[in-house]
Amino acid sequence: MKRSRLYPRLSAALMVSLLTIGCWQVAEGSWIYAKAGLAQFLLQRAWSRALAGEPMPKPWPWADTWPIARLRLQARAVDLIVLAGAHGRTLAFGPGHVSSSALPGETGTIIMTGHRDTHFRFLKELHPNDHLDLTGRDGITRHYRIIDRRIMDSRRDVIQTGPDKQDLVLVTCFPFEAIQAGGPLRYVVRAERVY
Amino acid sequence: MLHDFLSAHRHRAVHAVARLALCALLTTTGMGTTPPPASATESAESLRLGVVPTMSLNEVTEGALLFRTNQAGRYRPAPILKTDVQIAVTGIIVRATVRQEFTNPSRQKGDWLEGIYVFPLPENAAVDHLRMKVGERIIDGQIKERGDAKKVYEQAKQEGKRTGLVEQERPNIFTTSVANIGPGEHVTIEIEYQDTIRYENEQFQLRFPMAVGPRYIPGVPVIIEGQDPKGSGTRLDTDRVADASRITPPMQSPGQGSSNPLSLSLTLNPGFPITKIESPFHPIISIQDQDGGYKIALREDAIPADHDFQLIWHPAPHTESMAAVLTEQQDGETYAMLMLVPPTQHHEQTSRIPRDITFIIDRSGSMAGVSIEQAKSSLVAALSRMTAQDRFNIIQFNHMVRSLFPIPQSVTPKTMQQAIRYTEHLTADGGTEILPALRQALQSPQDNSRLQQIILITDGQVGNEEELFELLHQRVGSRRLFTIGIGSTPNSHLMRKAAESGRGTFTYIGNVNEVKDKLDGLFKKLERPVLNNITIDPAGWSGLEQFPATISDLYEGEPIVLALKAATLPSEAMLRGQVGTTTWSVPVSFHNATARGGISVYWARQKISALMDETYKGGSQEVIRKAVLDVALHHHLVSRYTSLVAVDVTPARPTDRPAAEQDQVTPVASTEDHAALTGLPRTGTGGQLQILLGLAALLLAGFVLGLRKQAA
Repeated sequence: MKRSRLYPRLSAALMVSLLTIGCWQVAEGSWIYAKAGLAQFLLQRAWSRALAGEPMPKPWPWADTWPIARLRLQARAVDLIVLAGAHGRTLAFGPGHVSSSALPGETGTIIMTGHRDTHFRFLKELHPNDHLDLTGRDGITRHYRIIDRRIMDSRRDVIQTGPDKQDLVLVTCFPFEAIQAGGPLRYVVRAERVY
Repeated sequence: MLHDFLSAHRHRAVHAVARLALCALLTTTGMGTTPPPASATESAESLRLGVVPTMSLNEVTEGALLFRTNQAGRYRPAPILKTDVQIAVTGIIVRATVRQEFTNPSRQKGDWLEGIYVFPLPENAAVDHLRMKVGERIIDGQIKERGDAKKVYEQAKQEGKRTGLVEQERPNIFTTSVANIGPGEHVTIEIEYQDTIRYENEQFQLRFPMAVGPRYIPGVPVIIEGQDPKGSGTRLDTDRVADASRITPPMQSPGQGSSNPLSLSLTLNPGFPITKIESPFHPIISIQDQDGGYKIALREDAIPADHDFQLIWHPAPHTESMAAVLTEQQDGETYAMLMLVPPTQHHEQTSRIPRDITFIIDRSGSMAGVSIEQAKSSLVAALSRMTAQDRFNIIQFNHMVRSLFPIPQSVTPKTMQQAIRYTEHLTADGGTEILPALRQALQSPQDNSRLQQIILITDGQVGNEEELFELLHQRVGSRRLFTIGIGSTPNSHLMRKAAESGRGTFTYIGNVNEVKDKLDGLFKKLERPVLNNITIDPAGWSGLEQFPATISDLYEGEPIVLALKAATLPSEAMLRGQVGTTTWSVPVSFHNATARGGISVYWARQKISALMDETYKGGSQEVIRKAVLDVALHHHLVSRYTSLVAVDVTPARPTDRPAAEQDQVTPVASTEDHAALTGLPRTGTGGQLQILLGLAALLLAGFVLGLRKQAA
């Protein structure tokens, strides 16, 4: 008798807490994706200011980053504003340019990173000979052709870089579908400049 | 179960957000790199190998240290840096040696490296020695005007000599540069500094900061065309923080402690019996020796530099009164250090004056994680200490300033309820604009019938310290500012100086468990009368120069600490002061003063600090610079205007090659690049995992519902 009264209460409490946790987690998880998408809108505006010649157009007043390039893949409707600096903070809003690598327009290897489950998700669908367009702050669009894709172990492998190359390296985490973040594998796409 | 898992997951996310500055910044000089003709053969070799072994992908993933060569797109492995700290405490004087060993891991011939390391020291550290060790040789550093020292360093670098330079960026941030570390070579830089132990609330405290926290840099970036930024940090210089690029080293996540390990050991000779030694944040081993001293070591050999080291010891009760007089004779002058805890007057029951307390709480991005929780619980604990006759207000800030009430409100159940709810809803995000928040707090009119107190709760991670001091100096009036430092590595220079300018005190809270005790201590101070108008009787002194020149008000439990210089000392000095309306005086005898080395250094450091304060009190920059140079050069101290530089006279990197080859090297070196060297962060988010977990929880909820229906 006593047990049967206790049970509905317990199960109700359990249900309510499960519902709360569920909604909270879904909302928080979705927010990561929403932020990734929404930020790109604000960034597009900052980008046009960048093209107009503003040296460091902050997309929002307290931002510590600014757009430095626009990466496009016509075939897949990918249009991303690339941010200066590849820190965890900037990557939530867009792909980041590794500040120690070359800038678009300079000679040398350009390196960019992005989240495998948001902005750089499209990397897995890239094939050799696909074309990428990269617009620099100078407004000039340069074309790149994918020449290589590979999975590398970050504990062992090295990225090939060259002083007088004109290439673009895009790095993201691998596997794409991994549930937990932080594995050692990286997916590295290399493209060379075409004229 | 699910709860546990979720909280563990969240905890990790928080941890990742709270990335700490490893504060190592490394660049290559590119000097001595193989000249262009040779690099053609090198690329041929790399074709054969398939990869150019210049950058490991591992170093690209977690924000490790890469550094760029003068050739764009080419990287080298960073020098490895090991730090060893040895501290000797005798009485209240600290003498410490920080040993930084730079190793060039490269095996390739011609890979000469330059290492630049930005690191913190205690805010009152007087750095007076630099030694560079190369193999068996030891080269002593010379003190020079900052610009001259830099020139000596640059020239030695060009000539292929090993050279080391120590510069001060802030009173608590320093930079070491070492040039021409050959492949496979070690160069050790030893820095010695002196500091004093803080005595407060019947305990002695030593703090060693471990990391330069990521600082918020306000203002608009300023680029001077054709000129390199001043430093190689991750941020550009701005109109409000003109040296931002020198104080923002790249960061590393806490999990990656191994690339910059730190070891620490300590000898402690307190000079009196003590009851216990505590290290609240790091496990230690302490061994007592026969003569009352202690040897203390960290239980782990090398620790990641992510939380300040703190050591606390308590004197055994009923020892003689806590007064110390130390003297040193140098160049015909007598230097003295005086520390004295005034007797407390418990019997005097002064009526309690009503108070206006304005709380300012920092909710910027750097407070994310544990810090904001500490700040919130501190604020709630502080709110509960107020009484009905008091008035209060809460101001919170990140890049915006929000105030709970337009003007301070009386304490009623309703306002308290509002305040607690307001506090609980605070989340950490955004920039750190302390200045407008303080300005808002200083707007309320001054009222002499009430005690007006401002309590600032922050980690102080900003680069515009001097603007704040200036504002406080001009506007604080009869109000008092108390700072509460939060987090694992707060900017204690800002906290202490701000409290000093605001005539209050600084309290450091290192973790949530300490909140209650520390706030009890602070509120005791706020509630008891202060000892003010403290002066030293000038009779009997000749040529007295004392720092601080005006002695600030004392709160209960605090000591008077003075640095004195005079031609002759009297046998006894008289200290006078006032508590409320009663006068107070105590004689200090110089008869049995202990003679000790290092007192002149202490005096000089205090003088420099007092001179630097003039900058925000409106003193002329040039006058201050000259005065600081005088003291710093005479006492061999690093300051904002002086640096230590050491040059090994034996050239290390061959420069006696055929002239043709050398010619090709020089232009390369002149275009060398010192841009920021950040690594790449993790590129996966936890979003998917969270959504999946959420869906699983919802599914389970549905399942429970089904069961209930069945049961019904």
